[in-house]
Amino acid sequence: MSETFSQGPGSGTGSGTAAGTDTATADGDAGTTAARRRNLLSGNRMLRPAAVILLLVVLLALPLYLSASWLRAGEFVMIGAVGAIGLTLLIGQAGQLSLGHAFFLFVGAVSYTVLAPDPGLRGENAELVSLGWPPALALVGAVVICALLGLAFAPISGRVRGIYLAVATLALVFLGFYLGRELVSLTGGTGSGRAPADLSLFGFCFCDERPEDLVVLGVPFGEAERLWYAFLALTVVGYLLARGAVRGRPGRAWRAVRDNEAMASVMGVPLARSRAGVFAISSGYAGLAGAMLVVWFGILKPDESEIGTYGINVSIAFLAMVIVGGLGSIPGAVWGAALVYGLEKVLELTVTSASIFGIVGFTPVLLTQFVYGAAIILVVLFEPGGLAAIGRRLTAALASTTEKGR
Amino acid sequence: MTEFLQLTVSGLGKGAVYALLALGFVIIFKATDVVNFAHGSLVLLGGYVVIATKDILGYAGAAAVGIAAAGLGALLVERLLISQSKLADPISLVLLTIGVDVIITEEIIRRLGVTAPFLGGPLEGAPLRLGNIVVFRPQLIALIVGVVLITAFFLAFRYTGWGVAMRAQAENREATALMGIRSSWVTGSAWLVAGLLAGVAVLFIATQDFSGAGLGRGTHAIALAAFPAAIIGGLDSTGGAVLGGVIVGLTEAYTAGYISFDFSESAIYLVMLLVLVARPVGLFGTRELSRV
Amino acid sequence: MRRAFALPALALATTLALSACSGKATDASGGGGSGGVQVGPGVTEDTITLGAFTDLTGPFKLLSEGVIAGHEMWRADVNAGGGICGRQIEFNIVDHGYSADTAVVKYPQLAPDIAGFIHLLGSPINAAIDPKITEDELTAVALSWSSFILDTPYVIIPGTTYDLEIINGLSYLMEQGMIADGDTVGHVYIDGEYGENGLLGTQYFAEQHNLDLRPVKITSRDTDMSDIVTSLRGAGATAIALTTTPAQTRSVLNTAQGLRYDVPVVGNNPVFDPTVLDLPAPALDNLFIVSSSTTFASDVPKAQEVAQTFNEQYADAPPNSYVPYGYAIGLIWQQILERACENGDLTRAGIQQAFRESDSITTQNLVADLDFSVPGAPATREVYISTPDTNVPGGQRTVTDLFKAPEAETYVAPHQPTN
Repeated sequence: MSETFSQGPGSGTGSGTAAGTDTATADGDAGTTAARRRNLLSGNRMLRPAAVILLLVVLLALPLYLSASWLRAGEFVMIGAVGAIGLTLLIGQAGQLSLGHAFFLFVGAVSYTVLAPDPGLRGENAELVSLGWPPALALVGAVVICALLGLAFAPISGRVRGIYLAVATLALVFLGFYLGRELVSLTGGTGSGRAPADLSLFGFCFCDERPEDLVVLGVPFGEAERLWYAFLALTVVGYLLARGAVRGRPGRAWRAVRDNEAMASVMGVPLARSRAGVFAISSGYAGLAGAMLVVWFGILKPDESEIGTYGINVSIAFLAMVIVGGLGSIPGAVWGAALVYGLEKVLELTVTSASIFGIVGFTPVLLTQFVYGAAIILVVLFEPGGLAAIGRRLTAALASTTEKGR
Repeated sequence: MTEFLQLTVSGLGKGAVYALLALGFVIIFKATDVVNFAHGSLVLLGGYVVIATKDILGYAGAAAVGIAAAGLGALLVERLLISQSKLADPISLVLLTIGVDVIITEEIIRRLGVTAPFLGGPLEGAPLRLGNIVVFRPQLIALIVGVVLITAFFLAFRYTGWGVAMRAQAENREATALMGIRSSWVTGSAWLVAGLLAGVAVLFIATQDFSGAGLGRGTHAIALAAFPAAIIGGLDSTGGAVLGGVIVGLTEAYTAGYISFDFSESAIYLVMLLVLVARPVGLFGTRELSRV
Repeated sequence: MRRAFALPALALATTLALSACSGKATDASGGGGSGGVQVGPGVTEDTITLGAFTDLTGPFKLLSEGVIAGHEMWRADVNAGGGICGRQIEFNIVDHGYSADTAVVKYPQLAPDIAGFIHLLGSPINAAIDPKITEDELTAVALSWSSFILDTPYVIIPGTTYDLEIINGLSYLMEQGMIADGDTVGHVYIDGEYGENGLLGTQYFAEQHNLDLRPVKITSRDTDMSDIVTSLRGAGATAIALTTTPAQTRSVLNTAQGLRYDVPVVGNNPVFDPTVLDLPAPALDNLFIVSSSTTFASDVPKAQEVAQTFNEQYADAPPNSYVPYGYAIGLIWQQILERACENGDLTRAGIQQAFRESDSITTQNLVADLDFSVPGAPATREVYISTPDTNVPGGQRTVTDLFKAPEAETYVAPHQPTN
């Protein structure tokens, strides 16, 4: 007993994982007086809707200005954001460390491809299983399958803890890698892979329909432009659902279990169910990200080695997004995705030479890895709240200056 | 029968190296509650230093410097980063080591470029024969070195002041501190020892006869296989680490030989999952990690 | 609740207002004709631009650099001779670092400016952008010799395919008396397009000769082949086929030698690179490499000429057998573009048409003669066989002339039309 109680709010656990709890108002700076805080909040209240509208306007208008390459890069970031939101719930809110995110991404990708019709681009292979559901339904199906699979992992996720869980989930990546090679009728095999159906909703296809592309305000809308809106909608829905969960009962239960199991149990939170439940939800998010990814790629191809589209490197990249963004913070996860996936793509599109700064082998991918590696270290050492906390502080500072200016 | 013995020999040789690495995980974990995801990068660091100094110092000198470099690298990670973030919880520290791992690994891989040099040295050479069984030298030497180092470690752990301090630290950090044992000395030395073991391990790993691969990403991947070894044995059990290493080595060899090579990597992790389902803290692990 | 709707609505309204001044409106797509020749994207009055989508920073850096050096030598030659169709050849070389997601992002940047791909490297990359290439009608040389990818009409495989290489190789071993009907033969292959295509070859040959085939699937990152060789020896295999990386080849040869397991090893063209030469000589003697292109040190006159130019221009670079290959690919493109020019159509569709009409492309024996007129069928079934030799530049000595085994003649590739 005494060991458990020594883990009270003052101990390491609280400050480490709880820091980036949930909403923009959670960052309680001990030094602020109550009056000043009220001011900040009222400043926030005016600033936030304006900022949200501005952001939405920009996001909605971008396809009218950006080229297809940049839109594709942005879509990649949105895939990252959806996956990272799921992972931040698991790690930040519930305190369960998972390295298996890439596995669920893979399952999501396979599920979508199998559930949706086979477009028959890669030969007319009769061995490929395809259920022919409407693609939008297949997308939902992929999420459900991943969530159920996450639930099926309950004997482990409900019992195994901390680092043991992390390595146990690492096992999933290796199993997925093996199954991807073996279950050829589902995955198409590493040899040729298989094509996923284009995403469509009520007959509107999020794909190229050349040469009669849809033209909006003089801009031809091909796959890159259309997918932008589909992904944006999915990201926003994912974001709002996660925010709702975090602010509501489930979030409180997760945090209670994370911070003190004995206490949570006393408060009536069913431990195993809560732990397994958040694992399932997180897996569902990964599944959605995986389905989006396979649509984005236009090909399902199981990895040929453990470093790949669904490999350990991907699990680690997602981990980086979540840490850098601030563990447990939903907006932080989005910022983290923008940093980890966005920086890489921006560099790729802007740096044309084979090396940066004239250093041999210094590629955009490498530079990005250095940046997020260093960011992880800095965040853990100096700002456990991550980008989210920095953002909150900036907003607060901005609000207070506007206050003063009046 | 020949095939079985051949596979056993090769599995044990690999198991010894996994055991050295797994032991490193366990020592660090016992002393600091951190699981060091940067271990693979320390392995690479040691190997890289050997490559870089081999032409000047000769193999023996380079090997010594490489081992020292891996140890020193580990010590620096502990002193500069881990010990500086006292408030952070074990999960954050694990994440920290992942950050370290990404940076060190990518930089060394960049320096190596497309080459994957072998460490070579006296470890390579004509294999030995016992009847129909062929024993590749790195495997045999790994087994001998593994047994010697592990025995030495256990003796030190049991009978020296350092060992007593280590064990005390693992039992109860606050009480140890009250008893006047300097915690930083214990944790620093734990990381140092684990790093040295990683430096020894790479001398075997990056040889033609042992892994078939020179120093590169593959080396890092092999170091990763020591993870399940440590988990199977139990993260806070030094004896368990050794057994875990052997289990992983043999599982890999037998699966590759009798079931399918393709399945051998997954088999390791499957064995680990089965152990975890039965015992969530590994075979000989004792501590429930209520904190994490 | 109201606000939840008000926000997006306001955002949408502002967006619409803003979008009136978008700069990304449709511009008239390129095209038109001049001097009787119709032109499309990537072709102007005086240039033809070909793209290379390649790996300058990833695992296939050396291969890419070799091929590009060959391309550049060809370009210098052809431009000095007045170009093609009165137009100078230009390259647009883009690096994807062997990462499929990088390729997806960079492809839309590259595609509008080129007439075709002088090469496209990497099977994951091929797979990811394959539907786009078809959509954009971009004819592309794939630096992958898997007959699986021949289902796309736009793909040029500049030589024979992995399945046929292995068939020819095994046939050579049989002809030399190293294996016989009914033997047990192992095949170590990398899971994926490359390995599985090679395996098709051994499977076919095994059927023809009643061989007991022991396939062993590995991944591209495995390097320790000792357990595999141990179990193949246990199974009594009298030969080993390889569709692997050079590091894996080296491990197989090294272990076999350690075990005193003295069997011939036959491999596809990518199984060898000069790093394999580090092994002691007896281990190397058992290896036979099958390829439809010449080696760097080949005595084919054109190959010698290319090697000489390479040594002059890239004095520091090690010999690289992909240099003559890069040159040969240039020659292939030259003949396709010249035909398109004769047809008066340098649009992408015109180039594709010319490619399909090319039934006898010759590269002065750098590569076997190629026939692209049958979609889905490999362009040639002929190969050279070479063996490692530390005494020649590039480390590979050719031991046969171009030949075609009878089994290679009868084999039907996955997408080959049957009649």
